[in-house]
Order: sequence, then structure tokens, then C-alpha cells
Amino acid sequence: MNRPPLARLAWRLLRREWRAGELTVLLGALLIAVTISTAISLFTQRLERSMTDRAAEFLGADLVVSSRSPLPDSYAEQAAVNDLMLSHQLEFSSVMASDSAMQLSSVKAVDAAYPLRGELRISRSAFAEETATRCVPAAGEIWVEPRLLNQLGVQVGDSLEVGYATLRISAVLTHEPDRASDFYSLTPRVLMNLDDLDATGVVQPGSRVTYRLLLSGERQALERYRNWIEPLLAVNQRLSGVEDGNRQVGNALTRANQFLGLASIAAIILAGVAVALSSGRFALRHFDSSALLRCMGLQRRQVLTLFTLQLLYIGIIATVAGLALGLLVQWGLMQLLADLLPPRLPEPGVLPLLVGAATGFSALLGFALPPLLRLGNVAPLRVLRRDLEPMPVSSWLIYGLALAVLSLLMWQFTGDLTITLAMLFGGALAALLLGLLAWLLLRAVAGKLREASLAWRLGSGELLKRPTAAATQMLSFGLIFMCMLVVLILRTELLSTWQNQLPDDAPNHFVLNVLPAEQQAFSQALENIGARSAPLYPVTPGRLVSINGEPVRTEVSKEDGNRDRGTRAINRDLSLTWAAELPADNQLREGQWWPAVAAPAPSAMARVSIEAELADSLGVTLGDRLGFVIEGRTLDAEVSSVRSVEWDNFTPNFYMIFAPGDLDGFPATLLTSFYLPAEQRVALRELNRQFPAMTLLEVGPLLAQIRDILRQVTLAVEYVLLFVLLAGMTVLFAALQATLDERLYQGALLRTLGAGRALLRRASWMEFLLLGLMSGLMAVVAAELATWALYRFALNLDWAPHLLFWLLTPSAAALLIGCAGVWGTRAVLQQSPMRLINRGA
Amino acid sequence: MSDAVVIARHLSKVVTSSEAPLQILDDVSLSIERSSSLAIVGASGSGKSTLLSLLAGLDLPSSGQVILAGEDLTALNEDQRATLRGREVGFVFQSFQLLDSLTALENVMLPLELAGRSDARERASELLQRVGLEARRQHYPQQLSGGEQQRVAIARAFASEPSILFADEPTGNLDAATGERISDLLFALNRERGTTLVLVTHDAQLADRCQHAVRMQAGRLLGDDA
Repeated sequence: MNRPPLARLAWRLLRREWRAGELTVLLGALLIAVTISTAISLFTQRLERSMTDRAAEFLGADLVVSSRSPLPDSYAEQAAVNDLMLSHQLEFSSVMASDSAMQLSSVKAVDAAYPLRGELRISRSAFAEETATRCVPAAGEIWVEPRLLNQLGVQVGDSLEVGYATLRISAVLTHEPDRASDFYSLTPRVLMNLDDLDATGVVQPGSRVTYRLLLSGERQALERYRNWIEPLLAVNQRLSGVEDGNRQVGNALTRANQFLGLASIAAIILAGVAVALSSGRFALRHFDSSALLRCMGLQRRQVLTLFTLQLLYIGIIATVAGLALGLLVQWGLMQLLADLLPPRLPEPGVLPLLVGAATGFSALLGFALPPLLRLGNVAPLRVLRRDLEPMPVSSWLIYGLALAVLSLLMWQFTGDLTITLAMLFGGALAALLLGLLAWLLLRAVAGKLREASLAWRLGSGELLKRPTAAATQMLSFGLIFMCMLVVLILRTELLSTWQNQLPDDAPNHFVLNVLPAEQQAFSQALENIGARSAPLYPVTPGRLVSINGEPVRTEVSKEDGNRDRGTRAINRDLSLTWAAELPADNQLREGQWWPAVAAPAPSAMARVSIEAELADSLGVTLGDRLGFVIEGRTLDAEVSSVRSVEWDNFTPNFYMIFAPGDLDGFPATLLTSFYLPAEQRVALRELNRQFPAMTLLEVGPLLAQIRDILRQVTLAVEYVLLFVLLAGMTVLFAALQATLDERLYQGALLRTLGAGRALLRRASWMEFLLLGLMSGLMAVVAAELATWALYRFALNLDWAPHLLFWLLTPSAAALLIGCAGVWGTRAVLQQSPMRLINRGA
Repeated sequence: MSDAVVIARHLSKVVTSSEAPLQILDDVSLSIERSSSLAIVGASGSGKSTLLSLLAGLDLPSSGQVILAGEDLTALNEDQRATLRGREVGFVFQSFQLLDSLTALENVMLPLELAGRSDARERASELLQRVGLEARRQHYPQQLSGGEQQRVAIARAFASEPSILFADEPTGNLDAATGERISDLLFALNRERGTTLVLVTHDAQLADRCQHAVRMQAGRLLGDDA
């Protein structure tokens, strides 16, 4: 006998199934999975790229290699090989001298390519209108910060001595893109041309100089370069990416990415549930076909191949259609948001399409294959004895496969193994507990309902008849609601965090170098111009040199990313302050804050409160003795508390806070930040005149930039939430659909036994309301567990129970499942019972 | 004996229930000649359907031997039995067993397509015409009456030109008049195509139309009624 290739036969049968409407649910579920994950991937990738581009402006580049010693030529050569744009710069401290004064300044020597991202802004004179420029100072010229003009008593057009060279001030420097990460630098900034560097003679072997190589270019090229250079970095060399450029933006980006990743996972779980339920239904409806095919001479293996091939075809169709739909959805979204997005968004890459396709096939493999494998186990004898159900496939295989696939997908989306594992094991544990909870709930309800009305008994009877099946359904629906809920909660949390981080009146100016004698007058002056100010903090520059008598390591292993902050903090002067009270945004982690009226005995050791992350990275704990060098003198202080600091806001923050009196005798200036409405800006000129020594830093443009980015991220988050909710609803209907066959049959049977429509309708409502209520309850428990774990381990947020959702979720779930279920089973009331029974038999 | 298409020797079937082992078939032997018709009759639970499943190779006996079309079923594995079924055997079931997702025509085409016949559509059309359903070719099983569904099933059973046809209560789900027409059709086709017909029934009238009949009682064969 000459059999046709199974591939063709499978295709032919599949087409007939499709025409008969048998595939709608499975194909639909899969289509949702692929569409959603493609659209989310595309959307987030494009947005992320756009946000990254914006964030790169804070670094002046996409990637920066920096070092305390000259960088090997190979670094630049390799960058050229990778078609990256590059710019060299050196930064060092040097004394600027005018005819009348001298001032230590922070000098940056740059080449013509600087900056690779973002822009420089300059003005003709101090506090004049600023303009953006594409140039850098020409050879023989320098640009200086306005305060330097004051300090040296010079104007634009005058010359300054820099080492052996004399350079002319040709503009006032008002904005450097890569300045943002360093508000606290105490010395005024100067920009000069790299070509003049040799003439100055300031850089000699042993000078403290930072060499930087700025790079920008295509993502892949950057990635290639990053991979190439990372293993080569010496201990004193550092690679910074966009995420390091600015703390506020970096944090927002990281969280947004985490959120989008999690949302994608939620969407995938949703799709997984749908695929699992609908392929379960597909398999169930094909037991008879499988038995019949075996009777007609197909071997077990051939039957299995036949159905696997069908599955493959379904996968291919759903993937192709899903990719197209995903592209369409993403395009539509971009059109919709055209006004709010940057004018030119980077084109999406191929990766999201691959992710979409992988999602489809993985969902099939992980969720649809196990039920289909049962089809191979159908005994041909089933044609005579319909009660012969195939042996269920090992549950280890089912759940193992699904878990494996899920973890791979999650890993791909989050790029974070810890989150992935936490979610998986937490999820599995939660599912187990919740399943048990559902089962117990059902048992408890069963006892109560024996006395209830017929409608209640009929409705709940459907659920109680097979508690395991009912628990599985509840778990599925619960999982769907949970996914939606987690995404909703995270979104709300994220948005409010960002809102709090940058309220409308976030400080838009920093002021340094206010003299202690002027404290009263300065506060008064700020009040007079209507500025809202943070407290004035005294600041003394000092360097941490020893911990418990041991010199501080200045070279920290490069593998240890966590220690990075430590390295940066100890390689430069810190702003040391003292305060009687814990700053408002700080939280005490360990130890005790000193009593308000503490007058230390002159002989007692100074006490210092250290910032928690720095303490971690330096390995400093409570009671350790820190040695500082301040103004050439040494000071030992005992760590009396460890505090966490809210770095994301724009108020002055400190690594080290001493007890009042401990820094007495060291010279100090005052520092604060304040908010001044843009229209009041002119008042600054008067302030500057009144306090010539002070240094004013405007962070308004930076704030605006960060707000812009946050607005985009918010938008992305909102739309992704909408996606997930839509997907959740669709999957809910698909899942419900998959469970309706049996219900229709039962309903029809009851009608033949004389049950009236009203009774059936009531029973139907009872059943689905109960199902919804319990899945809603499970969802809210699971969502609380999930968000707690996520907040605690992944997002570093404080968690509090979401009481409103405890009320809303079960009722919303009951209503949704109730309406959808009653609508789905309306055929019971409308069609001839005989037809339904014949179909179900 | 040489022309027997099905030979059963000392068939027993024991299933282990939760209490004691249950003897469903007890030492059954019979032989069915080519192109003959045999009715297996008996009350519900007498073991007649089990005997049918063993003769057709859908299940294996606990002991004994079945030779179908010259091959010892007990020596074949399930896949080899499947191949043999595809080649030699056709089935008609009490519950019709049509695939819901296929039209009447496609249901009949299925065994032909499985056999790789390129003329599946034409042959299936002819067979539907033969059973009087040419007008309902594109209808799905749900849109057909019980009698019509069984006619489709019969057309399907004869489609692959089996040498032996097993029918399990073919009229069991039908009213008397329809059942009568279905059995007419079954026997007519059986004669036309020289097929061997083995049918299980508790309908005495249907059994009477067969050349031979055996009666089952409590798992044992009581003898040839013919």
C-alpha cells in the first residue's frame, strides 16, 4: 500500500478542521501569544532605543572607557574597526590664573568630535541667553563656567594662564552633556581644545589625569566592542554605558525595562494558559479521531506524527500571522502616539520578530505538546468502548516542559536569572498553594451548599463534581487575573514613584560655596526671590584614607561591579557634612542617630553616619573606624549609623554625615538646592551679585530632559498595561470557551429532564460567579505574593498590601467570568437540547 | 478450513478488576469463511463485543490465538496489527464514529487518503451515491440523521475494499425501519463486494440474515445457531 506523505495528509486534515471551526480557539490563543509578544517586543525595543539615545546624552556618548593612565592605542583602533565614532578627552585639575587671582579648576581637554551625544551650550557673557553649539573651543581658546569669571575677575575676551600656555576665554560654558552625573564637583569647570594640551605642560608622568575614550555608533557594533574590551580592561580602567550616565535616568530606565520585561512575561503566561487550555480541548476532541485512524491502519507513531505535524502547521500559521499582526499593532500604536514620541524613532530590529516567533513555538512546545502526546496513547479499542481514555502523560513531563519553556522565555525577556528563578519557583510554589487553597475552598463550599436552593446546588455541583478539574480551572483563571493584576500594580507603583521623584517643584538649582557668615543673609535672599529651598548643609571636602587603620584600597577588582561606587567615592574628595537631624529623605538602616542635643566630649572620637550602599561596597560596618584627611589634617571617626539615601531626587545627598561639632575647626562652605520658577530666573543675577563667592548650578534643562524621558517611559508602561489587559481578557474568553463543551452538554441534559430556562440561567450565574469569585481571590493572594517578591528582590521598592485590590479583584473577576460564562453557555437556553446532546455524545 | 479468513483458537480474556480477576471470554474457538457472514449474538455483557475486538485485532487475548487474513495477530505488535487493519479490515460502529470536523464526503475519503489513493474523492462520491447520500456530501455529521450517519459510516467501511468487515451493533442506535434499511444496505454491499461480514448484535432479525450465527453467554460460545 502506497501511503501519501503524512505531511500532506496532516495539512489536508488540518484544512478541513479549520473549515469546521475546530481550530479557532487554539489558533486564536496562539495568535494572541505571538501578536502580543511581538508587539510588546517591537514597541519596547524601539522605545528603549529612543530612551537610550536620550540617556546617552548624559554621557556625551554611548560608551566611555576611562582610565587613570593613557589608554592603549588598540582601544581606539578597535573602535575604528567596528565603525564607531570616537572622541578623546583628558580631564585634570589645574590652576587658572588671571592677572589678579588664581583658582583651582577642573579642566577638560577635548577634540573636535566632542560631544558624540547631546550638545554643548554656551553664552556670550555670564547669565546671558545660552545657545547650543556643535563646536568646541578653537585652539588657543577656552570656555569657562560663569563662576570662574567672578572668581578670577575676568570677562569673555580676557586671557587666562593654564600651565605654560595662555588661552583666551571665548565663551561662557553653560552646559556640558556629561556633566550631569557630577553635581557636587566643587571646582569650576573649564573646557579647552586637546591640541593646546602639550603647550600647557600640565600633564606630566604621575599627574592625576583621567583619560577618556568616548564612543558612539550602531548598537551591534557597540555590543561587539563592549564584548571585545571587557576582558581586556585593566583594574584602573572603567567602562561606562548609558545606564551609568545619570542616576535618575538610569534608574528610571532600568525599572522601565524591568517592568516591560515583566509585562511581557505576564503576556506570555497568559498566552501559555490559553494555549494549554485550548490544546487540551483540541486533544480531548481528537481522542475519537485518533482511535479511528488507528482502526484504519495508522500506526501509533504515525498518528502521533500526524498530530504533531498539525501542531507544527498551526504554529507556523499563527507565527506568520502573529508577526504580521504584531507589526501592525505596533505601527498603529506609534501612529497613535506620534505627538508624544520623539520625531524619529529608531527602526526596530529583527530580534523582536524572532522573540515573537520563538514565543509561539515555545508556547506550543511547552503547553500544547503534552496534551497532544496523549493522542498517541489512545487505544484503537476506544472505537468500541468510548470510556477508554488514554493514559495521561506524566505530569512531570507536562509541568517540566512548560516550566522549562517559561524560564527560557522569561530569561530572554528579563535578561536576569535571579528574577527569572525567583518568579518561577515563587510561581510554582504559589500555584501549588493556591491549587490546594482552591480545592479546600471547594470542599468547604460543598458542605455549606447541601442545604441550598436547587440553582445553587446545580451551579456549584458543576464545580464540586470534579474538584481537581475545577481547581485547575480556577488556577488558570486565577493565573490570568494575577498576571493582569501584577502588571497593574507595578505600573501604578512605578508611575507614582516617578511622580514623587520629580514633582513639579523639584529643585532646579544647586548652590555651592555659600560662606558660613552669609548663611542668614542667603536664606533670607532665597526667601525674598520666592525660591523653595532645601536646608543649607555645611560642606568640607575630605578624602577617606583608611578603614580601621588599614589604608583604603584604591584599586578594586573590576569584576566586582558592586564595588564600583566605592571606588568612585574614595578616588576623589567627598563632600563631608554634619547635621543634627537625619535628612528628610534618608532612612536609618543600622545604628542610632545622635541625640539632638549632643555635646561630644572633646576627647571622644568623632561619629559619622555612612550611606548604606557605600558601606556595603567598602565592607564597612557599624563601629568601624574611618580615617579622613581634611585640609591636610587627619580625622578619625567611628561609624555610628548606616543610612539609605534617596539618590533619585534632586536634593543634596551625602555619603558621610558627621555629628554636629565633629568637624569644628575645619573650613566649610554651605550647599543647598532650591526650586525657582523659570520666570523668576532674572532674580539669580541679583543673587549672584549679592553673594559673589557662591556657585550656582542650573539643573533645570537636565530636569526637563529627565521628565521627557520619564514621560515616554510612562507612556510605554501605560500602553503595555493596556496590551496585557486586552490579552488577559481575550485569553480569559478563549480559556472559558475551552471549558464550555461539557457545560453545554450538562445544561442540555438538565433541560431534557425538565429544568426550566430560568433555573438553568440562575444555576449558570451561580456557577460562574462562584468560579470568578474564587479565581479572583486566588489571583489577589498570588499577586500580593508576586509583587512582594518582586519589590523585595528585584525592584528594591517598599511593599505594602494593596487593600483596594483585595476588594476589587474578586468582585471584578466574579462579574467578568459570570458574564462571559453565561454568555458562552447561552446556547443551552437557545438551541434544541437534543442537538447539544448529540454533539456532546 | 483452507478458505477461512478469520480463525480464533481457544481465546480467553481476563481483566483484573478491583476485587477478583474477571473472565470475560472463556476458551472461544471459531472459524469464519471468506465471503460468508457471521452474527455473534448474546445478551449485554456476554462478551460479544470483546470477541469482536479480539477478532479485529483491536485488543489482544489473555491466551489463545487469532489468525486474520493468514496472519497471527497475537504474534504482531500494535503497529503491525494497525497496518493489517488498514489493509484488510473495515468497521461499522453502533455510534457511527464519524469525525465531526469532516463532511460526509471527507469522512468516506479518509481511509482512501490514508491508503494513498489518488482517486479518493471520486471513489468516495461513488460510494456515497451507492448509499443514497450523494445530495448530502458536503454536510457535516451533526447535520445528518442517525440513519444517514450510519450510511456514511458504511460507505466509509467499504471504501478501502476490506476483505472483512466488522460491525458492532450497526442498527443499535436506530429505529426499526431505519435499522432495516441499514441492514439491507450492509448485506447488499457485502454481497456485491464479496466481503466477509462479522457482526455483533442482539437483534435476532439481523442475526437471521447472516449465513451463520454464534451465541455468546457468560464469555462462552454456545455453538453455531445456523
